[in-house]
Amino acid sequence: MKRQILILASLFAIAAMVFAGGQQDTEEKMILKVAEQVPNLITPGSWDGQAFSLNGSIYDYLIEMDADTGELVPALATDWSTPEGKVWTIKLRKGVKFHDGSAFTSADVKFTLERTQDPDLGHLKAQDFEILEKIETPDDHTVVITLKEPYPTFNFIFTDYNMAILSSEYDYVSKGESAPMGTGPFKLENLIPKESALLVKNDSYWAAGLPKADELRIYFVPDIDSSVSLLEAGQVDIVPQISPVIKRRLEALDGFKVLSPYQESRFIAMAQDREPFSDNKVRLAFKYTMDPEILAKACQGTLGKEIFYNETPIVNGLAQYKEIPFRGRDINRAKELLAEAGYPNGLTVEFFYASDHPYGTDIAQTVKELAAPAGINLDLKGFPRDIYLSQHWLNGPMLLTGWGVRVDPSMLLMLAYHSEGPWNESHMNNPRVDELIEMIRGEVSPQTRQGYYDELQDIFQEEGTVINLQVPYLVGVSNAVKDYRQPVTMLPQLKYATIE
Amino acid sequence: MDFLKRFGKRLGFMVLTMIAMSFLIFFLVEIMPGDVAQTVLGQSATEESVAALRARMGLDDPFHLRYLRWAGGFIRGDLGESLYMRGVQINTIFWRKVGHSIILALTALLFYVPLSLFFGVLAGVKAGKVTDSIISFFGLATMALPEFVSGIILITIFSVRLKLLPITSIIPIGENLWQNLNILFLPALSITFVMFGYVSRMQRSSMITVMKADYIRAAILKGMPRNYVIFRHALKNALLPTITIIGMNMGWLFGGLIVVETLFGFPGLGSLTMSAIKTRDIPLIEACVLFITFIFVLSTFITDMMYAYLNPRIRFKRGDV
Repeated sequence: MKRQILILASLFAIAAMVFAGGQQDTEEKMILKVAEQVPNLITPGSWDGQAFSLNGSIYDYLIEMDADTGELVPALATDWSTPEGKVWTIKLRKGVKFHDGSAFTSADVKFTLERTQDPDLGHLKAQDFEILEKIETPDDHTVVITLKEPYPTFNFIFTDYNMAILSSEYDYVSKGESAPMGTGPFKLENLIPKESALLVKNDSYWAAGLPKADELRIYFVPDIDSSVSLLEAGQVDIVPQISPVIKRRLEALDGFKVLSPYQESRFIAMAQDREPFSDNKVRLAFKYTMDPEILAKACQGTLGKEIFYNETPIVNGLAQYKEIPFRGRDINRAKELLAEAGYPNGLTVEFFYASDHPYGTDIAQTVKELAAPAGINLDLKGFPRDIYLSQHWLNGPMLLTGWGVRVDPSMLLMLAYHSEGPWNESHMNNPRVDELIEMIRGEVSPQTRQGYYDELQDIFQEEGTVINLQVPYLVGVSNAVKDYRQPVTMLPQLKYATIE
Repeated sequence: MDFLKRFGKRLGFMVLTMIAMSFLIFFLVEIMPGDVAQTVLGQSATEESVAALRARMGLDDPFHLRYLRWAGGFIRGDLGESLYMRGVQINTIFWRKVGHSIILALTALLFYVPLSLFFGVLAGVKAGKVTDSIISFFGLATMALPEFVSGIILITIFSVRLKLLPITSIIPIGENLWQNLNILFLPALSITFVMFGYVSRMQRSSMITVMKADYIRAAILKGMPRNYVIFRHALKNALLPTITIIGMNMGWLFGGLIVVETLFGFPGLGSLTMSAIKTRDIPLIEACVLFITFIFVLSTFITDMMYAYLNPRIRFKRGDV
């Protein structure tokens, strides 16, 4: 009997230990806590966009974007100039130090740019920088870049999330993702792969008074529902990339708000090199079945306010955008076009999308219902986003993919609509479009350039392979978070954020 | 002596099974669709860069060479480098998660073994009465619920309504699992839900069989106290089949909690395996699956040995083992 009592007592003791497990939070330090998706690759140049908070805090860029005005502002570069777009002179900030204490110089910029052409790396900006002819470093704080041909908006590339400035002395081959290091506002103190990262304030950061927080704690959480649970439980303050359904849930609760720092795109891509979309009449027929108002409702927003519908990849917010009125939903016209294309009895096509990506399932199901009356039967193929991107994206006859906004649209056009673009998901192959994209990149005069953009958007309207739904990018935060900034470059500027 | 002989023979089988399984795992991963170098370099990589990386990673070597290199690394304790997080040694991720999973498994054992044994014995002793019906009904009901359903029910009760326990089992940065033992409670409880019905029913039926045995009747008729008969004579014999069941589930408990760990976001081996599969991190998949296999083989071995030890008929049997 005594022994049984002893066993019972120890069981109670263990249970008490289990419940007693608590956490004493560190006092007085200002700590920002973020739940982010599990990053796969975090090496700049090859990451897939899920580690923005981490990388945007460890690294700096040559040029940043002002989150309010959208203007380019100096970061590691203090000045950039070019006479006619071919030779670029970039002046670098003095006195900047990497987290390991070494000085930031022009050699680091040269290293970062040349690294894009490393064939072993699969750098996502490889194609954009093929235009480099030579990079000279006349002194420690000047870089002179000569391009093979003029590219007057070349400076915009430096705001791209893959163009974090790396130390030329860092051994990326052997250290890789184990100890990322840059000049950014926060230093990586401890990284537990697939679990969490602890970053601390970089006391010798070049911008006075920044970062405002003392610590940045990032939890890598595999799914968005768990992230939101952590937010609701007060264990994190910021959860990027939430869905509109979660937005409604958070708005109904006290203590939370949902920010929409910028718009992003959902492209419905129709592959031009395979049936049925190889025939432009089928693409047009599909466009005639669309109803922007209903699509906006499916995305929990209002058309013209939060949601925009275009048949060109240029987004409304940009100066290059050309206003083209919607063609109107016309099922009879769609049927006629299908009959002319040889599909009098309709057709079936597989539609691939990422079911766990915000707006993915809502848009796919609505598009299926809209297209059905004309006889276009969409066979919905939803997959988790990583599987969608690794196995189906760039291959399917019809795709729905999330795209971030490129500040200079020519970057996006080169990437996704030039016949040789590495991410040409709709396999667009239009000689005039290729020609226009190349002319846009080389044109110095803004007026002439806009002329090319206008012609391009007309071609997209009539012969294009894309439907572009613009949706708000949503971030769930607790009310204590102030000054959360995230421009369309997609990189959160957590150096400004505070907790009150 | 016989016991030692049996031990040696089983140990030999265990090593053979491991060798065969490691070969099978390597072969299966090998025939998985997709090229490793292509995965690393991404969709936009050129043919030459893929070929160069293949050569550098040693992917062009013959199958048996690559297998020996991989298996040799394992024996030396070198699990290789993660494919998805370049420069990160798998050893630095892996053992931490294994440790977490072992703690979770032990907690679950601590929860469900005494509970199910107690109620199983109770139901067996009170067979056919109301107590038995209630316990059996509860056991059946929890057994029928898959862990992702019972997990959600538990989350709703303990986290959403009562706000007693965290929904997601994350370990706050700068702390370790020992400082956050409360995150073990819900996952362990949902494992208890799955195992309770199973173990308690097994215990109940073997208890009923034993209680009908002649030696128990004789002991009761001799006037021995009932509790003494139950705990001293009946329980020891009635435990044998239950131990086998508990032992056979050890492998699952220590390495196969993929659903429970994913549901609660628990940083253990199960969720690591899941994430390795999702990201096609081949060296990590191989390490996880091989380790889980090892746990399964080891737990079968231990069960076997314990069974032999507890059952004199096996322990003292001559000749064939």
